[in-house]
Amino acid sequence: MTNEPNRGTPSLSPVLLAGFALRPLPLVLLQPALDLAMSLMRRRHSDVFERLDALENASFLIDPVDLPFCFTLRLGPAAPRLWAVGTGGDMESPSAVLRGPLLVLIRLLEGRMDGDAAFFSRDLAVEGDMEAVLTLRNAVDSGGIDLAEDLLSLFGPMNGPARRALGVAEALFARAERDLESVRAAFVASVEGRCDAQTARLRDLEDDLADLRTRMPRANAAGKRAAKPGAARL
Amino acid sequence: MSGTPLELVCPAGTPGALRAAVDAGADVVYLGFRDETNARNFPGLNFSRPELRDGLAYAHERGCRIYVAVNTFAAAGNPDPWHRAVDDAAELGADALILADIGLLDYARRRHPETRRHLSVQASASNPTAIAYYHEAFGVQRVVLPRVLTVTEIARLNAQIPVETEVFAFGGMCVMAEGRCVLSAYATGRSPNMNGVCSPASHVRYEQLGGRMVSRLGRFTINQFPDGEPAGYPTLCKGRFVAGGCAGYLFEEPTSLDASTVLPELMAAGVRALKIEGRQRGRAYIAEVVAAFRRAVDAAARGDPVPPLGLGGMTEGLRETTGAYAKTWR
Repeated sequence: MTNEPNRGTPSLSPVLLAGFALRPLPLVLLQPALDLAMSLMRRRHSDVFERLDALENASFLIDPVDLPFCFTLRLGPAAPRLWAVGTGGDMESPSAVLRGPLLVLIRLLEGRMDGDAAFFSRDLAVEGDMEAVLTLRNAVDSGGIDLAEDLLSLFGPMNGPARRALGVAEALFARAERDLESVRAAFVASVEGRCDAQTARLRDLEDDLADLRTRMPRANAAGKRAAKPGAARL
Repeated sequence: MSGTPLELVCPAGTPGALRAAVDAGADVVYLGFRDETNARNFPGLNFSRPELRDGLAYAHERGCRIYVAVNTFAAAGNPDPWHRAVDDAAELGADALILADIGLLDYARRRHPETRRHLSVQASASNPTAIAYYHEAFGVQRVVLPRVLTVTEIARLNAQIPVETEVFAFGGMCVMAEGRCVLSAYATGRSPNMNGVCSPASHVRYEQLGGRMVSRLGRFTINQFPDGEPAGYPTLCKGRFVAGGCAGYLFEEPTSLDASTVLPELMAAGVRALKIEGRQRGRAYIAEVVAAFRRAVDAAARGDPVPPLGLGGMTEGLRETTGAYAKTWR
């Protein structure tokens, strides 16, 4: 694991823009929210943490590539803790690193996305201790975590209005995602057009090459026959 | 052609996956205990005894059955964990045991004669003589066939054996020597046959090198995937190696089996059950693949065309194959 990780190029998304907005924020301000989230998880998903007992002293660097910071998760005899850290490898020698867009990581946490499929498609990158990674993946996948429901459980009698507000926020996010995709498509349209033309040209060239390769042995064979004495009479 | 629907046998590695499989329409869920007695002994995976009890209740209430895989080979001089697994599964009410070891088959037949015994693919039984022996000696009622046979060969086999057959329908491919593969043991000292784990996570490493992801198993480099290229599992059989100056897949390419297009042929061949591979996969995989195959199996039973399943995103290397069922390769 390197100190300056290759985070790749994140896609244009509302998360990426939100990350820019969050950049000036001191990470320590996130800590109360992260502590609350972990406390909530332990209360509502004790089965997840029972499965994690097998990891006696493991630490994870969780790197949402579209945010300007990462999270570290430390498991062990003491209560599990989650911190926000910078992206330059602030954490010393984590057991493992999980890296991907924030929404992919959330979908994995909630079991709405298969970890192997995310790995096959390269949406998720992992490094380090794979036993720890698999234990974590299997524990959270089984847990039935639903971040929205977990969050709403904090509101008690105000659950109804909070649920409506969350619905509005989700709709706005979905709208922003569509709009940004339109913006991205508009920006890259001319480049994509050139790429399509070049792809078509390349395909034509490959076809021509395949055709030539098919003809070559025949031409060579014909040439050899013609070179043989008496071949001209055949 | 219409007929009795194929039994849909679906994987679960966790209680959450079991519920997902049942809810998505599985006829049967197969699973294992959290130890080396089953062939998917991965960290954090599988069931404790109380979890099996709860899973059985959940499944049975919804008309779904549970098969318990105790399908590794018992360690010499230490058969107790395997005996306990058989005893506990039978006593908790499992609907069948999936076994490979002949010692364990004999133990199960003597101690729990009322519990169905299925022959695991780990036993690699693929000819009438072997299968008839397992039936006569151990009362095996079903055999899970290795992924080496064409549909024609399966039909011929079914006409000659006294037991049901179950075949793989979807998921990870194997090097086609199930129960006899030593590649993982060669590289790591641990094998799927004895330890229940192929390419154990403790020996797997991934590393980002420039624009490539390098996967290693023990001291072997298995593959290097340039950015954007779909990845595969870190198994030696799916390694990309350099030979004669060219890098290529010497054994198998990273790809998944998808037999959905040959379901009517498998029904006509006399197959009784379809197995979906993937106890190590997440709930999302289970829910999506099981639901898709539920639709496919029901369509085939009605005599309707099997609809496209759209499972490409779930496949290893994002590619699928009909494997040996429609063998067009050598």
